[in-house]
Amino acid sequence: MLAGPSVRDVVVLDRTELAPGVVLLGFYAPELVAVTRPGQFVMAIPPGGERAATALAIYEAQGERASLLFFVCGARTRELAELRPGDTLSLTGPLGNGFTFAGARDVAIVAGGVGIASVLLPAQMLVEQGARVRLFYGARNVDFLVDRERFATAGCELCCATDDGSLGHRGFITELLAKAEDKPDLVLACGPSPMLRATAFVASELGVPAQLALEESFACGVGGCWGCVVPLDRASAQAPKFPKPAGEDGFVYARVCKEGPVFWAHELRW
Amino acid sequence: MVSDIDLSVTIGKLELPYPTLMASGCYGSGEEFEPFADLSQIGAVVLKSVTRAPRLGNPMPRLVATPAGMLNAIGLQNPGIDWYLENEVAKFAKRPCAMIGSVAAFSVDDYAYVTERLAARDEIAAIELNISCPNVGSEGETFACDPDLTGRVVRAVRAVTDKTLIVKLSPNVTDIAAIAAEAESAGADALAVINTLRGMSIDVHAWKPRLGNVSGGLSGPAIRPVAVLAVYEAARAVSIPIVGQGGIENATDALEFFLAGASAIAIGTANFTDPRIPIRIVDELRAYLAARGLRSLRDIVGKANVGFGSPFQYEGDVG
Ligand SMILES: Cc1cc2nc3c(=O)[nH]c(=O)nc-3n(C[C@H](O)[C@H](O)[C@H](O)COP(=O)(O)OP(=O)(O)OC[C@H]3O[C@@H](n4cnc5c(N)ncnc54)[C@H](O)[C@@H]3O)c2cc1C
Ligand SMILES: Cc1cc2nc3c(=O)[nH]c(=O)nc-3n(C[C@H](O)[C@H](O)[C@H](O)COP(=O)(O)O)c2cc1C
Ligand code: FES
Repeated sequence: MLAGPSVRDVVVLDRTELAPGVVLLGFYAPELVAVTRPGQFVMAIPPGGERAATALAIYEAQGERASLLFFVCGARTRELAELRPGDTLSLTGPLGNGFTFAGARDVAIVAGGVGIASVLLPAQMLVEQGARVRLFYGARNVDFLVDRERFATAGCELCCATDDGSLGHRGFITELLAKAEDKPDLVLACGPSPMLRATAFVASELGVPAQLALEESFACGVGGCWGCVVPLDRASAQAPKFPKPAGEDGFVYARVCKEGPVFWAHELRW
Repeated sequence: MVSDIDLSVTIGKLELPYPTLMASGCYGSGEEFEPFADLSQIGAVVLKSVTRAPRLGNPMPRLVATPAGMLNAIGLQNPGIDWYLENEVAKFAKRPCAMIGSVAAFSVDDYAYVTERLAARDEIAAIELNISCPNVGSEGETFACDPDLTGRVVRAVRAVTDKTLIVKLSPNVTDIAAIAAEAESAGADALAVINTLRGMSIDVHAWKPRLGNVSGGLSGPAIRPVAVLAVYEAARAVSIPIVGQGGIENATDALEFFLAGASAIAIGTANFTDPRIPIRIVDELRAYLAARGLRSLRDIVGKANVGFGSPFQYEGDVG
């Protein structure tokens, strides 16, 4: 039988606080690792048993271990941050369609804050494919540019920006992308929505196609409720095939969890 | 023996092996959840509501997490009945459980039109009427909030199908018993109680409503006590079966609804917490009944409802 997504209980192997409120949680999940593609996510079930599951990108996936990297910003991530090695974590996944980058030779990856969690797997795979990978990584300050050594070790060239100038460029990471010396042939990005919009703008100015991993808020995470939508060009290959409703002007609402979470920037109508 | 326990339910002409329905709009067409839940162990999937014409749906954001629940304002995004019949319905035959169609409309005629066409298909086991929609013919008054409008819709729909008809009531009313009674006398085979409660949430930093549609429907544990009372009151007013719903997350929650008078339950928002919950509820219900020497779920329906007599009286855990 073809292995696909499933709901499973996994054992937490390790927990590291990389910066205040930024938690890296490793767990034993060989079956998940075997079927994960770069840019996919899981719905992690908060251990208290009373709150809806929350979407988190699959950060690492190698051998028998996968990990999540998240910022504690509310009740659910707080519960997940309570987990310790040996505890059980329930999750559903892998879910969604990841990044596509076959044939890319020179890729700029733009990550803002914990958006970094979505881009390690594509970065590693691109380096393996022999592509040049530049990571444009922005955060509040140097402490929140977490785990950047791992990307350097993986073979990425790093360009950093911080709001306070504590490392790299002082300002927005997209300003560095706009000034990049040689034009990349593909941009991949994940981070807060203002950063993604700016990335889309810069990429279109450069004339480079960009894929954005969106982080809408989810309910079901599996395509069952139509709650997580984003307006998408009707002509997109990812657009749900719907007849045209009255008043529609060429876009259709696509589910971020099912048709996404990765979309071509030029096809979004947001 | 736990395995001998009878959890089957009868809803109109529908015989279901389990009392657990997946609530409309929360479970897609079942397919989305198939990798995570064995659909042969649930009673039925109530499909997402379908309308006459295709609908774009509401602008984003459509979801907001709220204390012990969530607000949603999806706006009935759906492809319309023509496309639905042509491209979707045939796939339902493959599912190992009953598929219940859900119909929404903005006029009495459209309710009848969509129901007649949908109910004609063998893949559809029964019809649920989502009457929590505004009637464009009468200044946008919600069908489910007015006994007269409810009666007119149900009669019109009853005239076009013999399939089991479940009428889904809204909690946003002053007297749900009166509306329940009207639905029954107009020909409903069963009632679904309750749909979501109206609500709103405001972002105090942006000074804006959090939902693209401004208002939305509240679901989840936050609405459970409202739902239990609505079931209790509706059950006293009618003799047709009730599908109780609103914030059910485990067997204890489900039992509240059965004891209040529901014959079956629907699970919506809890699927977003953990897709294993519906099957866990079935296991826990069996254990609950077995521990009390009961053979059938039917023995407890309405037992907390003083308006319901029954030859079998179980006096509760302390009695
Ligand atoms: C496909 C996908 C992948 C994701 N991957 C990751 C990841 O790898 N690591 C990670 O830390 N987060 C990730 N997120 C975001 C994560 O799902 C939310 O941060 C999470 O829902 C927070 O849950 P909570 O209950 O702790 O906080 P909530 O109570 O839901 O939110 C707390 C506060 O954070 C804000 N907030 C919530 N979600 C977001 C968001 N997406 N962006 C900005 N602000 C938000 C809310 O407005 C609120 O003010 C991802 C989201 C999606 C859709
Ligand atoms: C995201 C979402 C979408 C819904 N869509 C519909 C719908 O299309 N038609 C309908 O009759 N009810 C719809 N409902 C209401 C549910 O079917 C259910 O009656 C309600 O949520 C209460 O149950 P719960 O608390 O278990 O979710 C929806 C609820 C949610 C949360
Ligand atoms: S979260 Fe339910 S469809 Fe995406």
